[in-house]
Amino acid sequence: MAHSVKKYRGLMDWITTVDHKKIGILYFAAGGLFFVIGGIEALLIRLQLMFPKGTFDILDGQTYNEVMTMHGTTMIFLAAMPLVFGLMNAVVPLQIGARDVAFPFLNSLGFWTFFFGGVLLNISWFTGTVPDIGWTAYAPLSGQEFSGTGSDYYAIGLQIAGIGTLVGGINFLVTIINMRAPGMSFMRMPLFTWTSFITSGIILFAFPALAVGLIYISFDRLFDANFFVTATGGNAILWEHIFWIFGHPEVYILVLPAFGAISEILPTFARKRLFGYSSMVFATALIGFLSFMVWAHHMFTVGMGDIANALFGVATMLIAIPTGIKVFNWLFTIWGGKIQFTTAMLYATSFIPTFVMGGVTGVMLAIPPADFQFHDSYFVVAHFHYVIVGGIVLSLLAAAYYWWPKMFGRMLNETLGKWSFWLFFIGFHLTFFIQHFLGLWGMPRRVFTYLPNQGWDTANFVSSIGAFFMAAGVIVILINAIISIKGPKAPADPWDGRTLEWSIASPSPEYNFKQLPLVRGLDAFWLEKMDGKKEMTPAEPLGPIHMPSPSILPFFMSLGLFIAGFGFMYRGYEFESAFMNNLFGYNIIAIFGLAITLVCMFLRSVYDDHGYHIEVEELQKEG
Amino acid sequence: MSQAAHLDKLPPEPEKATLEGRNKVLGFWLFLGGETVLFGTLFATFIALRNSVLDGPTGIELFSLSITAIATFILLTSSLTSVFAIQAMHHKNIKNMLTWLGVTVVLGLGFLVLEIYEFYEYVAHDGFGFTTSAFSSSFYALVGFHGAHVALGVLWISLLMLQIKKKGLTTVTAPKIYVASLYWHFIDVVWVFIFTIVYLMGKVG
Amino acid sequence: MEANQEQVQDRVKRGRIHEGPRNHIIAFGISIFLTLLAFMAVANSALDATFIKIFIVILAVFQAVIQLAFWMHMKDRGHFFQILFLATGAFVAITAFIMAVYWVWW
Repeated sequence: MAHSVKKYRGLMDWITTVDHKKIGILYFAAGGLFFVIGGIEALLIRLQLMFPKGTFDILDGQTYNEVMTMHGTTMIFLAAMPLVFGLMNAVVPLQIGARDVAFPFLNSLGFWTFFFGGVLLNISWFTGTVPDIGWTAYAPLSGQEFSGTGSDYYAIGLQIAGIGTLVGGINFLVTIINMRAPGMSFMRMPLFTWTSFITSGIILFAFPALAVGLIYISFDRLFDANFFVTATGGNAILWEHIFWIFGHPEVYILVLPAFGAISEILPTFARKRLFGYSSMVFATALIGFLSFMVWAHHMFTVGMGDIANALFGVATMLIAIPTGIKVFNWLFTIWGGKIQFTTAMLYATSFIPTFVMGGVTGVMLAIPPADFQFHDSYFVVAHFHYVIVGGIVLSLLAAAYYWWPKMFGRMLNETLGKWSFWLFFIGFHLTFFIQHFLGLWGMPRRVFTYLPNQGWDTANFVSSIGAFFMAAGVIVILINAIISIKGPKAPADPWDGRTLEWSIASPSPEYNFKQLPLVRGLDAFWLEKMDGKKEMTPAEPLGPIHMPSPSILPFFMSLGLFIAGFGFMYRGYEFESAFMNNLFGYNIIAIFGLAITLVCMFLRSVYDDHGYHIEVEELQKEG
Repeated sequence: MSQAAHLDKLPPEPEKATLEGRNKVLGFWLFLGGETVLFGTLFATFIALRNSVLDGPTGIELFSLSITAIATFILLTSSLTSVFAIQAMHHKNIKNMLTWLGVTVVLGLGFLVLEIYEFYEYVAHDGFGFTTSAFSSSFYALVGFHGAHVALGVLWISLLMLQIKKKGLTTVTAPKIYVASLYWHFIDVVWVFIFTIVYLMGKVG
Repeated sequence: MEANQEQVQDRVKRGRIHEGPRNHIIAFGISIFLTLLAFMAVANSALDATFIKIFIVILAVFQAVIQLAFWMHMKDRGHFFQILFLATGAFVAITAFIMAVYWVWW
């Protein structure tokens, strides 16, 4: 009964897949696409600010606001998040010696909701009403009075994408808790798995707050509620709190897996075990915990009073302690190692000083009186780009170069890789280092132009040149990715790795491990190699492997939400035709969309998925 | 295989017998952790905006302790009956399990009827709509969200009852029942805070 | 002898499966009692408003813990992650609560 299962090919295979490795590639592809879109928006911003007002104005104020909003929103939610999730999907199950994630179906649902949410947000470019409220969407700017349908795109697009993230977070938590290979205790887990675990936990507790906040914005806008409307008793500060209760943990959601990737790459290429493994785990957990206690440092100038400001200032500085532990551990890891500067290692080592600079300006900003000076200036822009680009993007690129062979079964070109690194790294510092000074010289952020001869002209020009270098670096990376399709085939263990994912073929077969491995300690695969073995000792006899069936339902569930999103967004909109007015005005579209989703949920609940088995003969045939 | 023989083969805690089942139960617990934050944010909003009544009615004028008490009693009892359903499941007594689940659903419906009546009274007689004031928006958001959870739970448990009738109690259906009962208890726990913070505190002023 | 062993086994199994309805009915009784206490405190106008508020919130927390422990089996073994994650969720919810009380209006 369980043998006959429909196998799809081509596009249908990608739409229906529940295989975590393919979903990881989907996340990578979609995240890469949005990264390029966000990058183009960044280039537009830098082109506009390259010269002072009157020389070379390519964007007007309104368009600038839109580009700036979409740049931030896209990069955080639609580029960095999916790239992190792509890595987690590609790596975590392999690192813990699991055949699959805990909820393959939900994994697919998580990807498709994210994707449709991102598409919905970006469709705003074609309907002419783009979000122009900053990625923080502060009230009352995001309310009915001051912004149009663009804000609905923001609220509903992120709402749909957020569902996907939450689902993905739960999936990885359960996977890591329940599905570790025999012998893989918590304190034997590779650090990337640990950071993915903590990150998933933060997602679980941060995203519901965002969901509620976005619902409030939508209710305020579409159903005339009064949550953030001061005139009717609402409170705009409340939105700031809710947003940052989510928003600050969000930064750690992104940066922790980045830390984890660095903690994998440095030991591999320094050929030493990670220094201070348990303190790394402890520091990760502590950062996760502290991430929920510092949100109001984004709001020092709001006027909460001295006590609140002092409290949140001190709490914020506390985070420097576990982060410092991590930085020193990384340094001690490479100290005295036999370092091999591959592209991944270049990115990883350059991450350390760059991220420390972002961290140091973070501590500066955590001092409330100083923050009053830095606030809303380019100093802040420089700070968070050092953290997000210098911290997260550099390590994501390191991780991409490191795990690419495992994900795609092909090697990336090292020469091109090094070119991309130097272009990107030099470009990055050129762009953002000088922005610290621009901020200190008084240049405000989020303003579409500036007058000449205030001492900002040269610095802005330099910054924009740096942006072109970064763009060139990204183009080289894309070329490298494309030519790798025909590149040399990757061996199972190209880097002489330490963790379980390198003990199986590249790319790994759909069932990952023919026999679940027996884990005897930290750096499980390295231990076996040191004992002179070529592969892991199996923990079970060879037997048929149960696999989940592919399903189209996640795609349609997400499509339903997507349609419903449009239904709600345009319910109060005045269309030319009466037909359209009725269709949206009576919520017919919205109900239709939700109905699709509910029917899919019903089908999923009623029809059990028996999956199928890969038989022993098949496994032996594949070698 | 006859139903009885099949039931004999079923392990003592069928919801935790398979890895899929254990994953489902744990995953649902984690989801409830997320729901705690979701309701926490809704509560926080209500607390922040509870005094922003403008010209609209206040909590003291609106709330009726007797209706709240009845609603509380109904929901508490339904939580107990859903525990009984799980006990029946562990004793592999499908008939009793379905009966207790049925009672839970009926009580849930009773709670919903009461809530809809309450909301109707507010809107029709007290002029207390969703858009009246920030207080009203936050009140309806919090209590309405909880009500939506109850409604979803009623639909969900009903669907599961039909599934049990069709498929019987297996290691696939048992985790679903268990998880639905967790959900139902959680709704009850949230209600404990709603009657305390919204209604009782609203009455105190 | 055989029957005896079976009985023992049965008891062992039952203990593991479920403790029977008694504990659940007691939990129900406690919940009803705590609820009544809260309602009575509010109905009694002689008490100080601040005292009532603190009192009924404590009662609610107490009731929630009882229901979580008994009805949702949190007191049983193998619930470490359940407790950890629900407690963390509650912690974040409490921070939101503190935010709402102190840092929204001034």
